[in-house]
Formats: sequence, structure tokens, C-alpha cells
Amino acid sequence: MKKLIIVALMIAVAASLQAQVTLKVLNYQQADQAGYLEDVAIWERFEELNPDITLEMEILFNDPYHEKLQAYAAAGTLPDVFYVWPGARSAVIHEKKLAKDLGKLLGPDYLKNFTGAATNPKNQLGGYLVQLPQSFTYTSVMYVNVKLLKDNGFAVPKTYADLKKMVPKLKAKGIAVMMLPNKDGWPGQSCLFSTVAGRIAGDKFFDDVLAGKAKFTDKAFVDSLKVVEDLYKDGIIQRSDNAIGYGEGPGLFASGKAAIFLDGDWRTGAYITDKASGKALIDPKAQASDFALLPIVALPGEKFPGVNSAVAGTGWAVSGSLPAGSAKEEAAARLIKYLYSEEVQAIRYSTGAYVPTRLGVKATLEPLPAMLPGFYAANPKTSYVIDGVLDPAVYNVINDGLVAIGNGTKTAAVVAKEVQAAFEAWKATKK
Amino acid sequence: MKTEANVRVRARGLLGSALAKAAAYLVMGTFTLMTVYPLFWLTMNSFKTTREFQVNMLGLPMDPTLENFRMAWEFGEFSKLFPNSFIYTIGTTALVIALSVLAGFAFAKIPRRVTKWIYGSFVVGILLTINTLMIPLFIEVTILGIYNTRLAVLLVYVGAGLPIGIYLSTEYIRGIPTALVESARIDGAGYFTIFRRIILPMAAPVATTLAILQICSTWNEFALINILVSKTELKSLPLGIFKFSSSLSTDYGKQFAALVIGMAPMLLFYVAFRKQITRGVAAGAVKG
Repeated sequence: MKKLIIVALMIAVAASLQAQVTLKVLNYQQADQAGYLEDVAIWERFEELNPDITLEMEILFNDPYHEKLQAYAAAGTLPDVFYVWPGARSAVIHEKKLAKDLGKLLGPDYLKNFTGAATNPKNQLGGYLVQLPQSFTYTSVMYVNVKLLKDNGFAVPKTYADLKKMVPKLKAKGIAVMMLPNKDGWPGQSCLFSTVAGRIAGDKFFDDVLAGKAKFTDKAFVDSLKVVEDLYKDGIIQRSDNAIGYGEGPGLFASGKAAIFLDGDWRTGAYITDKASGKALIDPKAQASDFALLPIVALPGEKFPGVNSAVAGTGWAVSGSLPAGSAKEEAAARLIKYLYSEEVQAIRYSTGAYVPTRLGVKATLEPLPAMLPGFYAANPKTSYVIDGVLDPAVYNVINDGLVAIGNGTKTAAVVAKEVQAAFEAWKATKK
Repeated sequence: MKTEANVRVRARGLLGSALAKAAAYLVMGTFTLMTVYPLFWLTMNSFKTTREFQVNMLGLPMDPTLENFRMAWEFGEFSKLFPNSFIYTIGTTALVIALSVLAGFAFAKIPRRVTKWIYGSFVVGILLTINTLMIPLFIEVTILGIYNTRLAVLLVYVGAGLPIGIYLSTEYIRGIPTALVESARIDGAGYFTIFRRIILPMAAPVATTLAILQICSTWNEFALINILVSKTELKSLPLGIFKFSSSLSTDYGKQFAALVIGMAPMLLFYVAFRKQITRGVAAGAVKG
């Protein structure tokens, strides 16, 4: 009898040990972002709900994250679950097909809970559902201080001419018409030029360039750069904005230094009430009554009016090396489904991380983030975000060129030539 | 007449030296300000809430708070990272100094036909950038089965520190008269005895220089350890600080507090050993 009990116990212990799965996760998380504590709690909750799964988590952010992912990919030791960009930033995962197709892993029944743009494989460099985008990000949003404009006798601007009209009066008071902090280089491209080029040159132009049927020196691209040149020449954006760091923008806008602040939709998160002090950069009541989120105004020479640059957001992927049907694969799928659950997405939504692609997610929001669904609904037409379609070797030259145009040290034509030269040099390395 | 001229010359000399002194103080004062002000600004702003910082970047904190430090310490898991930083810094520094001075002695005073080539193969390491080594090193430690171990970190750190260590030690020991070594050999001393009794005491200044270089670089090292470990229990301080330093950051209070926490040990190190550091740097600058 004793022997029987011991054997039964041993079998039970062995079975329980076998059932315990350890998942290696490479998490993308920063401790100084709004919603950090909530994010930590999300992961802890998963382990509480799934005692049979142990998470072995590595947390990184920004370039070190990408360097580590690159190293894992090179050594063939990718973690089981990791965070991926839909485009060039995670090119190695897409091009070498190192992640499982989530379309197959999660199945159509599950994916119908998400927007079509999120589940469209064409929105990903790999051409399949490498990751499931948690959001669809608009990169050019005008944060408008409606009260400030009204106090100065202006209505909300709709055209380039409306902006130009504001310059003399606001400039005399030391207020910028439109602020674009561009010390870091990328905001000029991501938050302004992608929309400008989308409206004047259009997405097809970029497809044609990549296919060798068009050049960056073509009129459409040069005209797009000229609009940026004019924005600075006409004083709508101040040349001194090139000395403002990206992080300084929200505070300067909140203190009334500019009537309009140009940034991505993610920046609504900067105006959420700070948990430590219980205060927000702009009082929530004032956010609701005095501020608006609007698309960039109509521009001269637009061929695709109303288009705004947007890109599928980041999301979670599962390592392609997990054996099909294995306990690890099942655990990874369970984790992915949890991370995209209504419960988790509602938390992320309410902390201002993004507006989820998961349908039907409801959350209590502060005024500025609450304006985003309305913004998306009113502006359904989108265009490429340049750093999502071009290689860094090319878009970094565009970024630098836009800074030079802003400083008045280069013309649109010169920058266009430099971009074309960079593109040709990059193309040559791909042969 | 002569006395008057002497007085004039002396007066001119005094004026010249006063002006030179004033210019020297002005230059030194400017550089001191350029160094100290950012530290002061960072420390001052670490006591502000993010909201206060965004509306008052230059002023003193109106309502100072320690909450940033508490949260940064907790979120950054600094209690786990500090001991690792000490282990890596002390271990690496001790090994680099020991191996560099030993190798320097051999390269400088025990020449063989292959010495030039072996020495060159070490020194060429100075020219290699970390970025070119990261992925190969990751693959190597993975193959060796030492990924996610302190041994991997120490091996790579010591390897990275040896090129400059060997170069400085060799060049310094070259300056020690070879006659001392030869006399000791004639008296029957072995190389190890010569090293211990003659070279090591005389190489103390270069060892101090190496210690300063190694302590600073290991304490602040980020790129390699990011590649070599994934467990928080094995990470060092810069990885914790990095959690707070993204360009999209919105919580400056915690970010600045984390940076102050990371900076404090190095400042204390400088305050405690400033005389040795100054002497060490001078010794490294004027070899032999």
C-alpha cells in the first residue's frame, strides 16, 4: 500500500512538473512612461491566472531592445514571445520569417475581434501576420489651443492661409503659431512631412520609387519639401524649433507658448494626470473645453486632400521555433490572447498608451485621449509614415534634410538630390 | 632713474601676472561651471514633480519631493543592481591591472622574437568598437553555455579592458631602467621575484591610472552587459538607469532621480580618491 502511495505521488509530481511551462519573454517597457505600474500589474495578473506558466522576462527599451533582438535572431535563440514593429525596425524578424503567423495561430474567429487594418497582412513588412498591432497610430496630429486662438480673434484654422494670417499678431505676443520640436530630427519627418508628402506626392509615389519607377528628385517630392520650406519661411513654424528637444514640447504647449502643437496621437499620454502629484500638464477641465485634436490644415498643391500619415502599431509575436502543437506554443498563444484581451486593452487605453485595435474596448479616459476615437473617425484616409516604408539609410537623410530646411541652410531641391543619392547608395547595397 | 625704471618694470610684471591670473581663473571658473552646473541642474530637478519640472525647468523646486527617488529605486530595482555593479567593477579592475602589469613586464623586459607580434595583437584591440563585437560575443557566450552568468560578463569586461591596460603598462614599464632587471638577474633573481620586488612597486602609478580608467568604464558600461545577460539579478546599474531614459519619456522626475542615483557613487568615488586620481592621471600622462 505504502509503495502504491509513493508511486502515485511520484506520478503526480512528475505530471505537475511536466505541465509547468516556462515562457521566455522579451518585453518592451520603460519605467518613466505613464502607465508603467499598470503594465507591471498586467504581467503579474497573467501569472496569477495561469499558475502552470512561468514567465522569464527580460525588459528593455529603445535601441538596446532592438540590438538584443538582433543578437537573439543572429544566434538563433529568440525568446518565445517578443515585441515587434510592423516595418523596417524589425526587418530581420519579417524578412527571415522568424515569427509564427498569428493569423494561423490565433485563428479567424479570434481575429474578428480586431479592426481590419490590424489584421491585414499587407500592413506588415513580412507580408503575413508577424505580430498583431495593438494600435493604429496617426503620426501627425495638431493639438490646438482653441481658447488661445479665440482670445486673439482667430477661429480654428482649416487652411494654410489661415495659419499664415495668424503669424503677425501671435508673433508680436511671443506666441508660436505651430510648434514642432525637431531637435531630434525624426518629428519633422514623422509628425509633419509624412502627411505633407502623403497629400502632395501620395503613397503611390513611394511605391514607384521603391520599384525604380520614380525618383526623389521628381516634382511631387520636391513640392512636398517646398511646403515645409514655406512653413518656416512664412514664420508658421519657427526656425528655433529645431533647438527644442522632443520632450520639451508638451510643457511648452501647456504653458501657452504656441497656439498649435504638432505631434503624434501618442502624445495625448503626456497630458494625463500625473499619479505622483495628482496634477496634469493641462487641467482636465481645460482640456475638455479649450483644446482640440485636428488634422493638419489643407495645404497648397494637395493632390490627396484629407490624408494623414498613419502606421500599424507595434505588437506581440511568437517565436517561429516553437514546435507546432507543443505545450509552449499553447502557453504562448494563451499569453498573446491575454495581452490582447478586452481587460488588458482597456487598461492600456485608459493609461493613454494607445487606442486599441481590439473592437469594443471601453475605458474611462481623460479628455485629450478621449478625443482620439473621434479624430480617427473623422479622418479615415491615411498615408505612409516615411520611416515605416523606407530604410533608415534613406529616411535619416530625409530627417537631416528637413532639419536643414528648417534652419534655412538647404533648399528643397538640394535635399531632394541628397535623398535620391542616399536611396541609390542603399539600393546598390541590396544588389 | 634706474630705480624708477625698475619699479615700472616690476609694476608691469605684477599687472601682467595679475591679468594672467585673472584670465586663468576666468577660464577655470568657466570650465568648472560647465561641469558643475549640469550636475546641479539634474540634482535640483530630481526633487521636482514632472509637472513642476515642465513649467519650471530652471528654478529651484517650490515643493521638493523625495517620492521620485523612492519610485526610481523601486522601479529600477537598484537594490539588485548595485551589488552586481560593485562585483563587476572590482573584479574587472583587479584582473585587468594584474594581467596588464604582468603582460607589460613580459613585453617590455623579456623580449622574444614573437613579442612584437603578440603585443601588437593585444594593442590592436584598442581600435575595435564595441558595436562590431556585440553579436559575435553574444553568439560565443551562447555556444560556450555561459550566457546569463557573471563569468561571461567578467571575461568579456577583462578582455575589453586588456588592450589599453597592456599598452599603458608596457609603455610605462619600458621606462624603468632595464639595468635594474639585469642586475637582479645577475644576483640570481627569477622573473617572478623581479616582478614582485622591483617592477610591481615601481608600476604603482600606472596601476592607479588603469584603476581609474577601468573603474569609470566598467561602472558605466551598458552595451556589452545588455547583450550578455537577461536576468535582472545579473544586470548592473546602467541597465537600471536606462529604464528611465527614453526620448519619449514623460516622467522626468523619476528619470532625473534615477540618474542622480547612478551618478552618486562615481561622485563619492571622486571625492574620496581625488588626490590619488589626480596623481594617477598625471602619472599616466608622463610615462616612466
